[in-house]
Amino acid sequence: MIRRLLVFGATATALAFLVLPVVAIFARVPPGRLFAQLGNGAVVDAIRVSAETSAAAQALVLVLGTPAAVVLARRFPGRGLLVGLVELPLVLPPAVAGIGLFAAFGRFGLLHTSIPFTRLAVVLAVAFVSGPLYVRAAIAAFEGVDPNVVAASRTLGAGPTRTFFRVVLPLARPGLAAGAALALARGLGEFGATIMFAGSLRGVTETLPLAVYSEFNVDFDTALAISALLVALSAALLLALKWRPSLSTSRFRFAASS
Amino acid sequence: MILTILAAASLTNVFPAIDRRERYSFGGSNALAAQIRQGAPADVFASANTALPQQLYRARLVEKPVVFTHNALTLIVPKSNPAHIRSVADLRRKGVKLVVAAPGVPVGDYTRTVLRRLHRTGVLRNVVSEENDVRDVLAKVALGEADAGFVYRTDARTVRGKVRTLSLPRRAQPRVAYAVAVVRGGHAAAARRWMQRLLGKAAQAKLRAAGFLPRR
Repeated sequence: MIRRLLVFGATATALAFLVLPVVAIFARVPPGRLFAQLGNGAVVDAIRVSAETSAAAQALVLVLGTPAAVVLARRFPGRGLLVGLVELPLVLPPAVAGIGLFAAFGRFGLLHTSIPFTRLAVVLAVAFVSGPLYVRAAIAAFEGVDPNVVAASRTLGAGPTRTFFRVVLPLARPGLAAGAALALARGLGEFGATIMFAGSLRGVTETLPLAVYSEFNVDFDTALAISALLVALSAALLLALKWRPSLSTSRFRFAASS
Repeated sequence: MILTILAAASLTNVFPAIDRRERYSFGGSNALAAQIRQGAPADVFASANTALPQQLYRARLVEKPVVFTHNALTLIVPKSNPAHIRSVADLRRKGVKLVVAAPGVPVGDYTRTVLRRLHRTGVLRNVVSEENDVRDVLAKVALGEADAGFVYRTDARTVRGKVRTLSLPRRAQPRVAYAVAVVRGGHAAAARRWMQRLLGKAAQAKLRAAGFLPRR
């Protein structure tokens, strides 16, 4: 009885702790003001910058990350090390990521580029922290594809390219979609690496999280309203993630076993 | 007792030199003021302007602020001066990467005052980043990633060898006054003593040695 009470108490505390800050944001922002903020120029600019940079970073992550995941899903010597290197940005403190991007792409960095403080710098910072999430999920998705099904496709006369696009990709799709959604959500929230490597300039490099930070120093209510917007966006992504794959997995599971 | 002192980023080097014992939190004065408004536990607030402590005083969050030192603005470029900047006028050139502090940050507001007085607000088109405090501006120029930035003269002195300073015409200099105030709800008596110490001879000498200008 006591044990059950303790477990219940711990669960309730954990839930309250995780839910309270999110609920508190909405408790302090009436919906009317939330929509009114959509007319605030700084917020509109930040939404635009976030949308454009997230879209570009996501494209970069998908186009380069998918082939990388296909290769890393195979067994070969040194694979563990490579996967570890790809995952490393996930556990790096964001400030370290920012310093690393400067060291690599800065004017006095290894590659001597003029990327810092540009829109591209935001895209790179976002891709650097969100990419590993996608690649990790994609590796798992490709590993989960039954090799027998692939072999069957080949014996039935489909070439490797056709097999990849008609068999492997559809089977891996739920995992890829989940990874992509997670990466997008993480990228939308990117702060530390961006503010260091890309700086913060309204309409150019000031994304929504950066706008929350700079508004906090000026007007707490605006910061609250932008935060509420970000919560809504993230929640929408999470919902999409929870619902869609369950539908598609069942369909593809059926396809795989037939 | 150890006091918690929220102080403008430009005081990062000099405050610990005046008194090593206290606990400091340095940042943009506006960010620190926002923290006080949110109830941050603090005993003293030292701002790079007088407006922010005055606002907090009117909101009854701090006691009456007192000016304790002055400063002046300067334009800095990396030692290598990659964009060949020799004056404020050169900042206008296409492709120059100028870094300034955001509006609302005291040094950001002073920067805009300087540019207005020189009729050079057009150079703000070349701003590539608006930073949250003066040390962020300093770091990006000292690193060589930005071509130029506006900081206090005292900041430029902390990275000697990494940046060059280009002094501004006297008529463009804004009045940069630093005000200090005791935060209500903290250790008020000890904080008032600390404030008196800051206005005293020894501390004022340390401030002047760091390049700050006399109280009056």
